[in-house]
Amino acid sequence: MKRFVVFAAMLGAALSPQFAVAQTPAPVPAAQPAATMAPAAAPAGNPLKGSQKVAMCQGCHGIVGWRTAFPEVYRVPKLGGQNAAYVVAALKEYKTGNRGHPTMRAIAASLSDADMADIAAYYSQAPLTTASK
Amino acid sequence: MTMTKRMLFTLAALAVFVAGNAAAADLEAGKKKVQEVCAACHGIDGAAPIMPEYPKLSGQYPDYLQKALRDYKSGARKNPIMAGFAQGLTDKDIENVAAYFSTQPSVLATMH
Repeated sequence: MKRFVVFAAMLGAALSPQFAVAQTPAPVPAAQPAATMAPAAAPAGNPLKGSQKVAMCQGCHGIVGWRTAFPEVYRVPKLGGQNAAYVVAALKEYKTGNRGHPTMRAIAASLSDADMADIAAYYSQAPLTTASK
Repeated sequence: MTMTKRMLFTLAALAVFVAGNAAAADLEAGKKKVQEVCAACHGIDGAAPIMPEYPKLSGQYPDYLQKALRDYKSGARKNPIMAGFAQGLTDKDIENVAAYFSTQPSVLATMH
């Protein structure tokens, strides 16, 4: 039992971002039964479903070099090939208000966790199109 | 007289060109700053972050990267890790770092 607690604590430490900053994350050993005790992982996204949910993203993120006009002018980020977990994290930040672009906040507020995972899975695929520099 | 005028014009054009270049981002300084501050987590070229929650930065638009860093610095974008790093960057650092990442080979692209 004690051994399990120690293992769980180590797993928790290994999963925390602060720990990982200082240390290259070790590959998680396969087939550890305790791994199922880890905090619920983000739902795995479905890129195909995601492709049906990005209509409202593409008006800006689907156009090479597209600039926001409000509240500041800058090119909206390229999303093709981005880490899926980062895209989910960004959408959640907009939804909770930790990130403040008005349009992105309104859109993120309308998305469920499953929607976010699907959209992120779609964008994280190797980009199929225009590699703009 | 026309000769003098032409020379003056050339000089003026040269001055504008030099001033423009001086104001442009310094990629070498950006690379140095990236190695000191960003590379440990995002990778030296920004293409290989150590955590899936961290973004790839190589090839991203420099104006977007500047906006993100300014927002982390001001606290408009709330992230305790990035706030600490961004607060150590001057406006010039932000410009240089963004320019450096944006010019690295990237897997990022606009997806239609």
